[in-house]
Amino acid sequence: MSQLRDLIGVAWAGLKARKVRTLLIMLGPVIGVAAMVSAVGLTESAKGALQSQLAQLGTNLIIAQAGGTFGTQNPTFPVNAVQRVENVSTVTGAAATTNLSGVISLPIQGASSYYQAFPVPVRAADDNLPAVLQVPLLDGRWLNPSDSQLHQRSVVLGSGIARQYGYLPGEVRTILLNNTNFGVVGVLGPVALDPDLDNAAFVTQWAAKHILGTNGEPNELYIRAVPGTTQATTNAIPTAINLGGPDQVSTKIPSDVLQAAAQANKTLQQVALLAGLLALTVGGIGIANVMSISVIQRSAEIGIRRAVGHSRSKIGAQFLLESLFVGVLGGILGAVIGIGVVFAVSKLAGWVVVISYGDIPIWMGLALFVSVAAGLYPSIKAARLEPLETLRLG
Amino acid sequence: MSEAAFETPPYGGPPVNNHSLLELEMVSRVYGEEVEVYALRDVSLQIFPGDFMSIVGPSGSGKSTMLGLLGVLDLPTSGTIRIAGQDVSALDDPTRSKLRGDSIGFVFQQFHLIPHLTALGNVETALLYRDLRTKERHERAYDALDRLGLAERAHHRPVQMSGGEQQRVALARAIVTNPLVILADEPTGALDSVNAANVLEIFRRLESPERAVVMVTHDATVAGTARRQVTMRDGRIVADERRVEVAQ
Repeated sequence: MSQLRDLIGVAWAGLKARKVRTLLIMLGPVIGVAAMVSAVGLTESAKGALQSQLAQLGTNLIIAQAGGTFGTQNPTFPVNAVQRVENVSTVTGAAATTNLSGVISLPIQGASSYYQAFPVPVRAADDNLPAVLQVPLLDGRWLNPSDSQLHQRSVVLGSGIARQYGYLPGEVRTILLNNTNFGVVGVLGPVALDPDLDNAAFVTQWAAKHILGTNGEPNELYIRAVPGTTQATTNAIPTAINLGGPDQVSTKIPSDVLQAAAQANKTLQQVALLAGLLALTVGGIGIANVMSISVIQRSAEIGIRRAVGHSRSKIGAQFLLESLFVGVLGGILGAVIGIGVVFAVSKLAGWVVVISYGDIPIWMGLALFVSVAAGLYPSIKAARLEPLETLRLG
Repeated sequence: MSEAAFETPPYGGPPVNNHSLLELEMVSRVYGEEVEVYALRDVSLQIFPGDFMSIVGPSGSGKSTMLGLLGVLDLPTSGTIRIAGQDVSALDDPTRSKLRGDSIGFVFQQFHLIPHLTALGNVETALLYRDLRTKERHERAYDALDRLGLAERAHHRPVQMSGGEQQRVALARAIVTNPLVILADEPTGALDSVNAANVLEIFRRLESPERAVVMVTHDATVAGTARRQVTMRDGRIVADERRVEVAQ
C-alpha cells in the first residue's frame, strides 16, 4: 500500500513539475469530454422542450383532407364524414371544417382591395373543434349549438387574425363576411399542430350553409385517436370515409413533424458525439507524442531512479500513472465545463436543463481509457531505457 | 558488516562462501553483434568491507564498463557478478533493482540530481518503494543531509545550489540507504579544487570497516587518497595494489 502511495507521489510530482505541459496534454480529454457532455446535454434539453410541447399537444391528432382526381376543384367529404370516422373504434373524437373559399372577410368596410389580394381563410367549423384540438380559447367563447339554433351570425377568430384585425380582448366587434356583419364571440388559442388555423376565421356550419351559401360538405377532419393507436387509426380512416376509394383521402399526423425535429436533434447529438470522440482520439495522440518526448527529455531522471533501485516496472508504472492522472483530471474538468455549457445555453434558450449524469462517468471513463492507452507506449519505452545509456559514466 | 550477516544473505540464494561484498569472477562484457568489441575481458575482482579503492586507467580501458557492472546497471556477457554472495545474473529485474538499491550507493561526476525535486526530495528518491512511512522517510533523508552539512538547504532545488553542494546532496542520496558499497564515478570531476577537496574529505569520512568505497577516476590526487588502487588497461586489470601505511 505504501508502495502505491510512493508511486502516486512520484507521478503527481512529475506532472506538477511541468504544469504547462500537463495542461496542454490535458486539453484533449478536456475538450473531448466537454464536447460529449454538452452535446448530449444540449440536445436532450432541446428535445426536452420539444417533448414537453408534444406531451401537451398529444401525438394522437390526425388530420384528414379530402382529395380528388387531378383537376377536381374543392374536393369535399360526405356530409356525414364525422359520423363515419367516429365508427372507427379507436377514434375518441372528430370535428370537421369546411374551407369557404369564396367568402371574403373584412375587418372594416373599405378594406376590400387589400383583403381581396390577401384573403383571410374562412372556415365553417363543428362545435367541438377546440375540444378535439385540445386548444383553449384566448378570449370569449367558441361557436355553440345555440348559435345555429338561434341563427346567430357569430364568428371566432384565429389568434393570428385577431392580432391582424387589432381585436382587443372583450371588445364588442363585428367583421364583414361577404358584406354581412358577424359578431366576434371569441379568439381561438394558437394551434401548434396546425398553425393554418391561427390565420382563419370560423363560423358555424349553419351560417356557412344558410348565410354564406355553401353546401355544408366538409373538406378537412380533425380526429383524436386512442393514444398508442394513432398510426393504425390513420390507416383505417380512408376506408371508413370511403368516398370513391381510399386514395380520395389524405391523412397526416402533425406531431410527426415535431417528432422529426426531435429525431433531427438526435442526429445532431450523434454528430457532436462523434466530434467529441475525434477530439479524444486526437488528444490521445497528443498525449502519446508529448509523453514519448517527455521520456527522452527525462531519460537522465529514469537512469537515476534505476540507479537508486527503482525497477523497470516501477518506472513504467510511474509514466502510466501520469497518463492516468491526465485522463482523470481532464475528464473531471471536461465534465464540469460541459455541464456549465449546458446550463448556460439552456438558460439563454429558456430550456429546462436536462443532463444525463449517468452518462458522464462513461465519457470520463473513455477519456481515461484513451489517456492510459496513449501512455502505454511511452511507459514501456521508459521502462526499457538502459540506465547506462542515460547516465553517461566515465 | 558482520560475518553472520553474510551467511544469511537477505535475498535468498546460495550461502555465501567468502567475505567479499562485491565480486567479479571471470567477467567479460562484449558490445556489438556483427563485430564484437571486448570492453572487459575475463576480469576477476573482489571488493571487501573496509576497502577504500580507486580504479584508474586511460580512456577506453574499461573503467566505466566495470563501474556499470559493479553497480548492477549492466550485466556481463559472460562470468559471474556477486553482491554479498548473490549471483545477480540469476535475479529478475525487480529483485536485482532492490538488491542494487539496498547494496549500492552511486555518486556521479555530473551529480545527476532530479531538477524538479528539492535536495530532500532527491535524497528521498533512494528511499521510495521500501514500505517506509512518509515521516520516517523524511527523517532519514533529512539526517543524511544534516550529516553532510546541508540541513539548511534541504528545501532548495539543485539549480539553487553550488556544484559542491549538489555533489554533497548526491552523496547524501548514496549513503541514506546505508549501502554495502559506494560507487563513485569521477566524484570531483565537475568541481573546483576547494569543493573537490571537501568532497574527498567526505569520502574519507565515509570509510568504514563494514562498507567499501570505490572511486573510478582519472585524477591522480583522487586515486592517491585510496588505500587500494586497481589499474586497468585494454579491458583487463593490470595491477591491484594496496598502499601500506607505515606507523609514525
